[in-house]
This record gives sequence, structure tokens and C-alpha cells, in this order.
Amino acid sequence: MNLYLKYFKIHLKSEMQYKMSFILSFVSQFFVFFGYYFTIICLFDKFSNLKGFSLYEVLLTFGIIQFGFAFCESFFRGIDQFDRLIVDGGFDRLLLRPQNILLQVFGQEISFVKLSRLFQSIIVLIIAIINIDVVWDIKKVITLICMLISSVLIFLSIFILAASYCFITIKGLEVRNVFTDGGKHMAQYPIGIFKKGFVFFFTYIIPFGFVNYYPLLYLIDKVNNDLYMISPLITILYLIPCIFIFYKGVKKYSSVGS
Amino acid sequence: MKSYLSYFKLKFTIGLQYRAAALAGISTQIFFGLVYILVYVAFYESDATSIPMPLNELVSFLWLNQAFFALVYLWYKDKDIINLIKTGNIAYELCRPQDVYMMWASKIFGERLSNATLRFLPVIIIAMLLPAPFNLDLSITLPRFIIFIISFILSSLLMTFLVLLYHIICLFTLDEKGIVNIFMVVSDILSGLVLPIPFFPTFFQNIANILPFRYISDFPFRLYVGNIPLKEGVIGIVVQIIWMIILIIIGQILMKKALNKAVIQGG
Repeated sequence: MNLYLKYFKIHLKSEMQYKMSFILSFVSQFFVFFGYYFTIICLFDKFSNLKGFSLYEVLLTFGIIQFGFAFCESFFRGIDQFDRLIVDGGFDRLLLRPQNILLQVFGQEISFVKLSRLFQSIIVLIIAIINIDVVWDIKKVITLICMLISSVLIFLSIFILAASYCFITIKGLEVRNVFTDGGKHMAQYPIGIFKKGFVFFFTYIIPFGFVNYYPLLYLIDKVNNDLYMISPLITILYLIPCIFIFYKGVKKYSSVGS
Repeated sequence: MKSYLSYFKLKFTIGLQYRAAALAGISTQIFFGLVYILVYVAFYESDATSIPMPLNELVSFLWLNQAFFALVYLWYKDKDIINLIKTGNIAYELCRPQDVYMMWASKIFGERLSNATLRFLPVIIIAMLLPAPFNLDLSITLPRFIIFIISFILSSLLMTFLVLLYHIICLFTLDEKGIVNIFMVVSDILSGLVLPIPFFPTFFQNIANILPFRYISDFPFRLYVGNIPLKEGVIGIVVQIIWMIILIIIGQILMKKALNKAVIQGG
């Protein structure tokens, strides 16, 4: 953890060298994801509901997914761009150090510009939480916290899994963006609105459903089983094999040279 | 003129080499097309009281957007040109006996057209084969088709000059992030690529209708699916030409200004 903090400080210092550029990029990042929210607000302006879900319920599922994604993109960006490390041989350098490899990879790049997306998602979440039709009690607050944590965990798992691919393919797979970005795009909506096949996919194959959909049902009292409260934590079960696969890849790793 | 044509051809043939990237692009376009349509279908099934656009027209419109995505999106940065600006190699460009503006325009157009050429057919074929209501319906009358072709050619030129304008702004800012990003995002939204313009609230619809961005994808594709009457289509073509002239003039002026006080970044 100390190591990561050190990385954190170094990256912060280096980004602050170009203040004006940083501020402009920060603002522009805010606009990048604005399109998503613009879309959803406009659509609810024309349609009264989405398969029974209200605007704020959908904004909540949106915000949760964006929160996790932005969090991982800001703090774990190194793993997202793992193929670069493999291609230029930088990974060999990390292996030589007597420190946790995964942690070192995380620390390779920390993007403070992307924090603007994180702030944006937090703002959206606050708006959603204030306006959503939920009577908040301790159980529901716990559910919400579980949702936030699981959202970070699931993207972390996906990033690690995608990075493990690089051991085999060397070059990052562009096709994986279809799954991460496309999957992310779909999971922003309460997945129950889609056909059965997609619900199955997002429950058992990439468990996005446990991040925002099933807990949402609990929040708005569509289900009463208390098990739903901790359902987001299923993503931990997803993370463990992903880390395992990554380390398996490290063992088999042979450098590209250079 | 011949030299610009060869720049275009050069970029076009280079672009055609990247087949693996095209394959990734095609799968992305198909997947996203499906996701968008699924969301809209869910909305239409929930509440059909005041739909802004019939579902079949909307679905075809979305597929056309995806199929020709490479030719209509505005979030585009030409790596070569940005590098020229950042490294100072633009000095070499200035030495050439050609107009930099037209040279860059033909390069951008060539690259974008080659990307679209590789991608559009598979997307269209797969979209047509899908079961209703998810399928693309290509049936069209002859006069409408002719007007569509004219407006689509104009729209891709309009896209080129608009994207070029953003690159010219980079000459001032020397940075392709920041302000240029904001321009690009806003124009993508106002072009109706993120959300079709009929779905905008009235206020934003009025803004989008005044600005040139909608003439890039919204106008030709909605014309194709029959959402815009023919008469309006003819007027639209005139508006497209006017906007193109305006964009070229602004671009040329800004380019001259930028180059007059160009600071070559390093050597």
C-alpha cells in the first residue's frame, strides 16, 4: 500500500507540472461522458418509464457503473494499458523488483484527468439518491455501499483478465473493447429491460447484474429477500480467479526481448 | 489538383491495409448498434404515447449511422497531422508547393473514406439479415435515393472540413486535448450521433437545427429512411453547400492566421 502511495505522489507531481493543460483536460473529460447522461435524460423526457423503471432508478444504475469504471481508469490505469508494458519489455523491469507485481503494474500510470469522470458519476449518484423513491434505512445504505465497492471490483477483474490475455497475444486485443465497453454500455441500464439471453449473460458470465440490477430491485422494494443486500459482493468471487489467471500468466511469461 | 488527388489516393490505399483493425471496428459497430436498438425497443415497449420517430425508421437510421460510422463521427484526430503540429515537422509541410489546407483535407478525406469502405458492407448485410424489429430496411424510391446520394457526398465533405477546422484550432492551442476535445464532444452530440435529434427536447432541437453538425449524419440518414420529406431534402442540400463554403472560408482564414505566427516547436 505504501508503495502505491509513493507511485501516487510521483504521478500527481508530474501531472501538476502542466497545470493549464491539466485543467482543460479535466474539464473536457467532464464533457466526454456528458453525452451518456444527456441521452438518458432526453429519453425520459419523451418516455414516461423504461419497463417500469423511473429516470432516477436508471440514473442510479448508470452512476454505479460509471463510478466503478472511472475509479479503475483513474487509479488502476496501468493494468488497463498492460500491453504497452509487455510490448516494450518494461514488464521485465517490474519482475526484477522484490515487490508485489500487480501493485507495481497498477502504479505504472495513474490518471488524474480521469478523476473528473469519477466526480461526475458521484454527482449523478447524489442526484439519483436524493430523488429516487426509496425509504433509506441502514440495510439499504449497506446495499448501496456494496454496490459501489462491487462496481470497482468488477472492472478491476475485467481489466486484470484482459491484461492476462496480453501474455498470450502480446498485443492488446481490440476486440476486448467490445466486451468491456459494450458490456459496460449495456450494464448501465437495469439489465432486466433486455431479453432473457442478455440477462443470463450479465448474471453468470460477466456478473454486471449483481453490481447494479439485483441490488436495485432490493432498494426499490421489488424483492424483499435480504440476500440481495450483499449480492454485489459476488464480484469478489469473480475477482479471485482473475488474479489467479494473471499470476499463472506471469509464471509462463517469456519476455519479448528489447 | 492532381497532387491533392494523389494525397487522397495514398491515404486511401494505406487505410485499406488495416484489415484487422477494420474487423474489430465492424464487430464494435454491430454490437453497439444492437445495444442501442435494444434500449430503444425497451423504451418503445414501455410507453408508446408520444414517440418522436416510428420504430422501423429509427432502427434503420441507427444501422446506417453504425455502418457509415467511420465517415460521420466527429471525434477524430489525425495522428499524422497532430504529430506534425506537435513536433514542428509542419515546417516541412510549409515548404511544399501545395496549399496546406487542401492537402490536409484530402488526407483526412482519404483516410476516413478508406475506413468506411472496409467497414460499411458487412455491417449493412448483417443488419439486413436480423429479424424484425431489429433489421435494417434499405427499400427506397429512386428520387429519394438520388437526393440521398448527393446529400451523403456533401455530408462527408462537410465532415472533412469540420474535422480539419478542429485540427487548425490545434495549431493555436498546440494541444489536441483540452478545448478541442470539448468541441468534438459537443459536435458529436449536436450531430445526432449520440441521440437522434427528434429525441432532443425542443430547445436543443432548435439549436441543433441551426448548426451545421446535423447535416453530417442526421440529415442524409433520416432522409434515407423517409423521416425527412423530399422537399425539405432539396432545401437541406442547399444548406449543406452553404455550410461547406462557410467552413472552408473560416478554415482558410484561421489557417493563414495560425501559419503567419507559427512557432516551430523544436527542430
